[in-house]
Amino acid sequence: MNLVSRSLENINNSLTGVVGVLPLHLRKMIHRLPPVILNQVEEVRLRYHRPLTIGLNSKDCFLHHTHGLTDTPEQAYIVNADDISRVIQLVSNSSIYALEEELRSGYITLPAGHRVGITGKVLTENSQVKTMKYISGFNIRVSRPMTGVADAVLKHLISPQGFVYHTMLISPPRCGKTTLLRDIIRQLSNGVPGLNFTGVTVGVVDERSEIAGCYHGIPQHDVGLRTDVLDACPKAVGMMMLLRSMSPQVIATDEIGRVEDVLAIEDILNAGVKVLTTVHGSSLEESNRRPVLTKLLQMKVIERLIILSRSNGVGTVEQIIDGSGKCLFKNRGD
Amino acid sequence: MLTFFGVILILLACSYVGFAVAEKYRRRPQDLRYLQSALQMLETEIAYGATPLPDALGQVAQRCEKDIAALFTVTVDQLISGDGGTVREAWERALKHFCRQSAINSADAAVLTALGGNLGISDQQDQIKHLQLAREQLKIEASKAEVEAVKNVKLYNYLGFLSGLTIVIIFI
Repeated sequence: MNLVSRSLENINNSLTGVVGVLPLHLRKMIHRLPPVILNQVEEVRLRYHRPLTIGLNSKDCFLHHTHGLTDTPEQAYIVNADDISRVIQLVSNSSIYALEEELRSGYITLPAGHRVGITGKVLTENSQVKTMKYISGFNIRVSRPMTGVADAVLKHLISPQGFVYHTMLISPPRCGKTTLLRDIIRQLSNGVPGLNFTGVTVGVVDERSEIAGCYHGIPQHDVGLRTDVLDACPKAVGMMMLLRSMSPQVIATDEIGRVEDVLAIEDILNAGVKVLTTVHGSSLEESNRRPVLTKLLQMKVIERLIILSRSNGVGTVEQIIDGSGKCLFKNRGD
Repeated sequence: MLTFFGVILILLACSYVGFAVAEKYRRRPQDLRYLQSALQMLETEIAYGATPLPDALGQVAQRCEKDIAALFTVTVDQLISGDGGTVREAWERALKHFCRQSAINSADAAVLTALGGNLGISDQQDQIKHLQLAREQLKIEASKAEVEAVKNVKLYNYLGFLSGLTIVIIFI
């Protein structure tokens, strides 16, 4: 009995924040799902007048209008206008006026680091996004602490002399790129006793608040003891700010892709600071086709490339390549 | 002897009713003024601090006159209870409770109800407009209330005692 209630509590801990932004009747329906399913929930999607979709780590399901999950849209619970307006209020803590910045960027970070993506009618002013009106869709992404996912790759990222290599993670969306990055940051910052590596100061530029999941500027994820986070800061500017102000030994950032990001990285390289970053893509060749990244890769400064996929589940490390193109690790499948 | 006590009792009861009604008329302009300044505070919190609504209402509850603080504290309690209710629902529940203990009438309550339906659900400019509109309407109600107070406070003060006296005269 005790065990059961404790396991329920664990589920509640990671899902409370997510379920807490849903109206009461939806909360009850989701809490009635079996614990096995609750543990797999990755996202909850609400779209006006369409079925409420629950993304599990293996597939997407609809919430059945009375109980459990279903695959047939006809039996699914259909999201209505009242649900949408309640979610807006709950997500915004009843204060949409306080979220202008967040509406401009299209997502809100909840306490505990969960992310809510928002869609609706976008209002622009001078071709800049001003705000969003008539909000009609949400994607609530569950964030679970995943400590230890970087254990297997860390030995490839630290040189025998105890330096961190310039590292780039290449991964398609939803393959655990940010989760892996976060755990690498945490372990580099805390130190890795097994590898005789004492921690280094890590500066994180978290433009999309995904790495540290800051809420009111305070990281909601464990990003390590020696980590400084610039939340919601544009990457290029942020990297320079950290370089000047926080004297980091490693600068980490997510999803580089713009010209100014690459320029900022060049500056960092010249300053002797190590770079830890990610890009979207499913292979080295694909990343190489993006002109901005080609430039970075041609400079031959990145010393370690880690390629991720979902082939053996989220966060499968496909390949680790060193700066000269030599393969250090290759996933052979099951 | 018994008759004497009866007479005193009737006079006291009727006077009390009269005083209570008069007191409502006397207090209404004052409550409306307090409400206006509370809404002004709320507007400042929203316009300059973009303070989240539960915090903003909490601030207002602390700083406004204590006669009307209940409206804000009850709303905040409902909002932070985590039961998934909206601002409109929380505000309406608080308002119902508040109407019973304050001197505002149904017209004033209607202004506040309309405001509650709009609180927190739009951008800053919109919020400011709604708060200003509510303040404007409360101001009009307040000036009406002043006129009514002048007319009615004395009237009901006397009317209570005199109606008691009438009852006594008729029945003796």
